[in-house]
Amino acid sequence: MSSLDNPTSTLPIGPVHVALEEPMYFRLDVEGETVRGVELTAGHVHRGMEALALRRTLFQNIVLTERVCSLCSNSHPFTYCMAVENLAGIPVPERALYLRVMAEEIKRVSSHLFNLAVLAHIIGFKSLFMHVMEVREIMQDVKETLYGNRMDLAANCIGGVKYDMDAELTRFLLSSLDRVEGAVRKIAKIYGSDVMILRRTRGVGLFGREDARGLAVVGPVARGSGLPLDVRREAPYAAYPRLSFEVVTEQDGDVHSRAMVRMREMEVSIDILRQCARDLPAGPLSVLLPEIPAGEALARSEAPRGELVYYLRTDGTETPNRLKWRVPSYMNWDALGVMMKDCKVSDIPLIVNSIDPCISCTER
Amino acid sequence: MNDILPALFHMLVFPGGLFAVAAGLLLKGLDRRVEARLQRRVGPPLLQPVFDLIKLAGKETLIPATANRAAFLTAPLIGFTGMAVCAALIPVSGAYSGLAGMGDMLVLFYLLPLPAIALMVGGSASSSPFGALGFSREMCLMLAYEIPLLAVLLAVAMRVGAAVGGGAELSLSAVAAHQIAHGQFIADPVMWPAFIAYLLFLPGTMGVPPFDVPEAETEIIEGPLLEYSGPALGFFHLTSALKSVVVLGLGVAMFFPAPVPGGAFVNVLWFLCKCAGLMLVSLTVVKSATGRFRVDQAFTFYLRYPAPLALASLILVWQGA
Repeated sequence: MSSLDNPTSTLPIGPVHVALEEPMYFRLDVEGETVRGVELTAGHVHRGMEALALRRTLFQNIVLTERVCSLCSNSHPFTYCMAVENLAGIPVPERALYLRVMAEEIKRVSSHLFNLAVLAHIIGFKSLFMHVMEVREIMQDVKETLYGNRMDLAANCIGGVKYDMDAELTRFLLSSLDRVEGAVRKIAKIYGSDVMILRRTRGVGLFGREDARGLAVVGPVARGSGLPLDVRREAPYAAYPRLSFEVVTEQDGDVHSRAMVRMREMEVSIDILRQCARDLPAGPLSVLLPEIPAGEALARSEAPRGELVYYLRTDGTETPNRLKWRVPSYMNWDALGVMMKDCKVSDIPLIVNSIDPCISCTER
Repeated sequence: MNDILPALFHMLVFPGGLFAVAAGLLLKGLDRRVEARLQRRVGPPLLQPVFDLIKLAGKETLIPATANRAAFLTAPLIGFTGMAVCAALIPVSGAYSGLAGMGDMLVLFYLLPLPAIALMVGGSASSSPFGALGFSREMCLMLAYEIPLLAVLLAVAMRVGAAVGGGAELSLSAVAAHQIAHGQFIADPVMWPAFIAYLLFLPGTMGVPPFDVPEAETEIIEGPLLEYSGPALGFFHLTSALKSVVVLGLGVAMFFPAPVPGGAFVNVLWFLCKCAGLMLVSLTVVKSATGRFRVDQAFTFYLRYPAPLALASLILVWQGA
């Protein structure tokens, strides 16, 4: 371990660790409680999905991409379908565009609630963890009622959606949203004022605006450092051009501001869901599909963790020639090196959680 | 020889040893149950800590290849024996007056850190880097919470001492007897700061949130306990159960020892009720309402609040208020 010439010792965190939701290995050089160096090793949940995608048909790949990871399980098939539609020039019906947005925002609310609950768990605030997870349960009920599933919604298909909303479901959704909104406001007040949370998260894992620009981070990590990056605003897709919403940013660039970005984004998402429920146009849910031609296409969307990019190349057969996706956690990963610089050992799990890493997505 | 047998009985059966273990495990079960209810969970059965121990007893104790075997296996016993002796020093008013003639408050002050020391010895003997981190955190925290404890003990001893003719009364049974005769300290405004300091000392010494820094599960995965398994781990749990009876019982004896009319049995129950009440206020509720401090924050917290409070009482007592 430590010696007189070399005051640092090695601390292994992971691949199996209580505070990490997924396997990841950190090799830390620590000096007492202070971290002097970090080395990241990944690869524990690599499943060869991109290779697998080349052996599945374009339709089977919807099912495959939905299983890349559980928390953003709607964003993957959604963006994949958009890539196919962009390639073949398929016009998606207006009603389907709204329904797609709804599935996406419902997933965003529960994903953010999950991340905030884990933050409470990491600082040992078990009661708050239980409470936030209980609120998330309302969203889980919404998903189960609307889609029949708690995690994988199976909402998307090429050229449209697979589910519909009727008046009764809309009423249920709106009443659930009211409950969640009240609870989220209360939770926001707790996270914004509780002494224990402020002490543990303020000024921890600092990541400035210039760092954020330099490392090209995306999603709540960028927005927590004051960069208003949001694909929904920059390159609107689906029904987003017709919806009004705010791009939430916080200026401090610490663990707390990233948490508060997620907190406020939930309220924005709830508002988007209400607009969708109000404006939902009538019409078909999907269109008849043309032959998918040879070609290549790109699609991007704002997943709960940030920008998700899908690249698709076809050769006219029913299997893709290449399917490649770039996930938000991949872009945010390097930020950990900056955030963890000279931090305390106790802050490591907090910092890792603050970028909301999705390791299954990143390694697939 | 005649003195040793009853002393052994008190250490091994009542109120130390068997009785304290049973009481401690029950208190732990109650604690888990109430905490669960506060979080709107159902919670485990009251006897869950007992079931856990039975399960651990049947398991294998794995010793890391790089660990110091002797120290690794002795550490759990150090804490356990220390606490068993301590439990015999706690008076249960109306049923048991403590081992007489031993200047017990000083002995308690010296023995109370034993479980923490056992944890440190075990953690460093396990040769795990998490054990080493837990060691330094436990050490840091201990230095912080021992200061208010010492001040509280002195304030209580001097308050009784002043009433019986100067100096400090270091016998816990005399402290309890004095309060039964002249009113309990919990009703004495001069002693309120000390009582609050003691309430704040409890979560630190018991290692529960917000002071569960040495064993922080999500940070250093239980630190010193990480490499322990089977009966050796069970002994640490037993020690913690015993320790909760000791520190809660000490609080009861120092601040509200009055018995109720009725036999010894009723008073033992009354004592347990008071311990449970003290535990719910100072440990269970606090634990479910807070997160975890960082070790530096915990350290400054103890120097900033409980220490001055306890000193305030001490100075008031000293000035003869």
